[in-house]
Amino acid sequence: MRLPTKTQTSRRALQILVLLLMVVTPILARYGNYLSARQLDKMVERFDGSFQGKALVWTDGTLRLLAPDKHYGEDVVRRDRKRVLEAAASLKGSTWSFELFGLSLTDPLAVLESALTSKALPWVLLSGALIPLIFTILLGRIFCSWICPIGFLLELSGKLRAVLRFLEIRPGRIRLWPGDKFLILGLGLATAVFFGLPFLGYLYPPALLGREIHNGVTVMFDRAEEGLLGFSAAGLTLASWFLLGIGIVEILFGPRLWCRALCPGGAVYAALGKFRLIRVKRNADLCTDCAECIPVCEMGLNPMRDHTGIECDNCGVCISHCPDGALRYEFSLSDEPRRSSAGNAPLCRKEAV
Amino acid sequence: MKPLTRRGFGAALARGAVRLAGIGAVLHVLGIPFRSGKAATTPELRETGVLRPPGALPEEDFLARCIRCELCADACDTGCIRLLPPGSGRSTGTPVIFPWDRACNLCMACTEVCPSGALKPGLDKHEVRMGDAVVDERLCVSHNGTGACGACHTACPFRGRALTQGIRNAPTVHPDSCVGCGLCEEVCIVEDRRAIRVFSGRAWT
Repeated sequence: MRLPTKTQTSRRALQILVLLLMVVTPILARYGNYLSARQLDKMVERFDGSFQGKALVWTDGTLRLLAPDKHYGEDVVRRDRKRVLEAAASLKGSTWSFELFGLSLTDPLAVLESALTSKALPWVLLSGALIPLIFTILLGRIFCSWICPIGFLLELSGKLRAVLRFLEIRPGRIRLWPGDKFLILGLGLATAVFFGLPFLGYLYPPALLGREIHNGVTVMFDRAEEGLLGFSAAGLTLASWFLLGIGIVEILFGPRLWCRALCPGGAVYAALGKFRLIRVKRNADLCTDCAECIPVCEMGLNPMRDHTGIECDNCGVCISHCPDGALRYEFSLSDEPRRSSAGNAPLCRKEAV
Repeated sequence: MKPLTRRGFGAALARGAVRLAGIGAVLHVLGIPFRSGKAATTPELRETGVLRPPGALPEEDFLARCIRCELCADACDTGCIRLLPPGSGRSTGTPVIFPWDRACNLCMACTEVCPSGALKPGLDKHEVRMGDAVVDERLCVSHNGTGACGACHTACPFRGRALTQGIRNAPTVHPDSCVGCGLCEEVCIVEDRRAIRVFSGRAWT
């Protein structure tokens, strides 16, 4: 009996949903602007046949499902503007700071940095981070594996390494010291304290991606208003090159290099998840030392060695790849492997040889 | 020490290249606030200052508190809130309003949504102080005698108090009541350089 395939499917579904939400929020915002100014029908007509027009029409269609039109008598149909606007306002922001149906979700890194630059911790700031904090403390670094849009895109672009291998170009397998990310975090927080500069907010890829998507979509609609319909990269900035660079380095030089060793947000989540309650654990008796789990680990860990520590992001890929069912999610505060009734020493035989 | 093989040398080179790229990225980001060429800076903006959304804290506090998310821009009713592009120094990614393009209609949605407290929540429209509108009497058609306009008076949400009209609809701003929303600047009929402009008093830092 194995559930892990479903775990992986739901993980992918959540990652895709989050990325989709990040693209949808700026479109929703612009839709709200047009509807609020009673210009929506005019704009749909003006943007007809372009990406912008389609986006507005699709948004309108979806929102009408949530807030249906009002019918007055025989053939008078009115759009329930107020309720549509409320529905459009229910999703805002990006993973750096989301507002979903009135619930504020802020990245703990943003909170940490803002508190240090301003030397104050107002309740609005802290309350937004409560839910992410609780989830991280209980479940570990799940933001990285289940939510982070950059983590998702890097997992996706990592598949290109297989294409390189097919072309008989051997991609590099560089590993940097995982502690590097704590150095970057420390450097960033020191900059925040001494220079009042939110350095990490300008470096942290999910935050950059959110800003890039927002600017990209906004500028595309601005251009459409001036008559330049269709896709455009005019809103994209230097940050896009930085994100692209991370992707290329990762494909050519080392898998998940950024997430494993450099990401300051990953450092915060790793530190917070040190005493997580749910861990991937191995049953040493069932384990046949096939080592299937080692190459699939996105964080470059060795589940057969048991002591994955703070680096494990509970993605569960190793669980779904284990042919013997030896790996499982378990409630535990430590990484010590499970002992069976037989009392065999929990030993990884390959390591012993 | 291991003997240096060709592969080992290649790997060492690649590792060095990645480290260099990493250091370069860090230096690049560190350099953002020190770069002199400010992307969004026009002479206009230098003169009037950056117009922040309603409820913004004093500039220094605002820059420290703001987490550079885009919630205020997403919540904005008119779409007037923009994010400053990279190259704007410490202001990179912070919200700004260009009232000649789109002005704030004081819906206050941004103050409700701000997760960092950089925009003070719960403000009444009257209490907002984004800046002050200033009339350039040489450019204003009602003042310089080339016509009778009155567009700013029509647009002003506090007309009668913040903005009054004289002969030929010539506007007078009363700074005590003016909130600095910029609606007058948006509708001003004088092209290129508006005859009524909002000065925020927030210099580029």
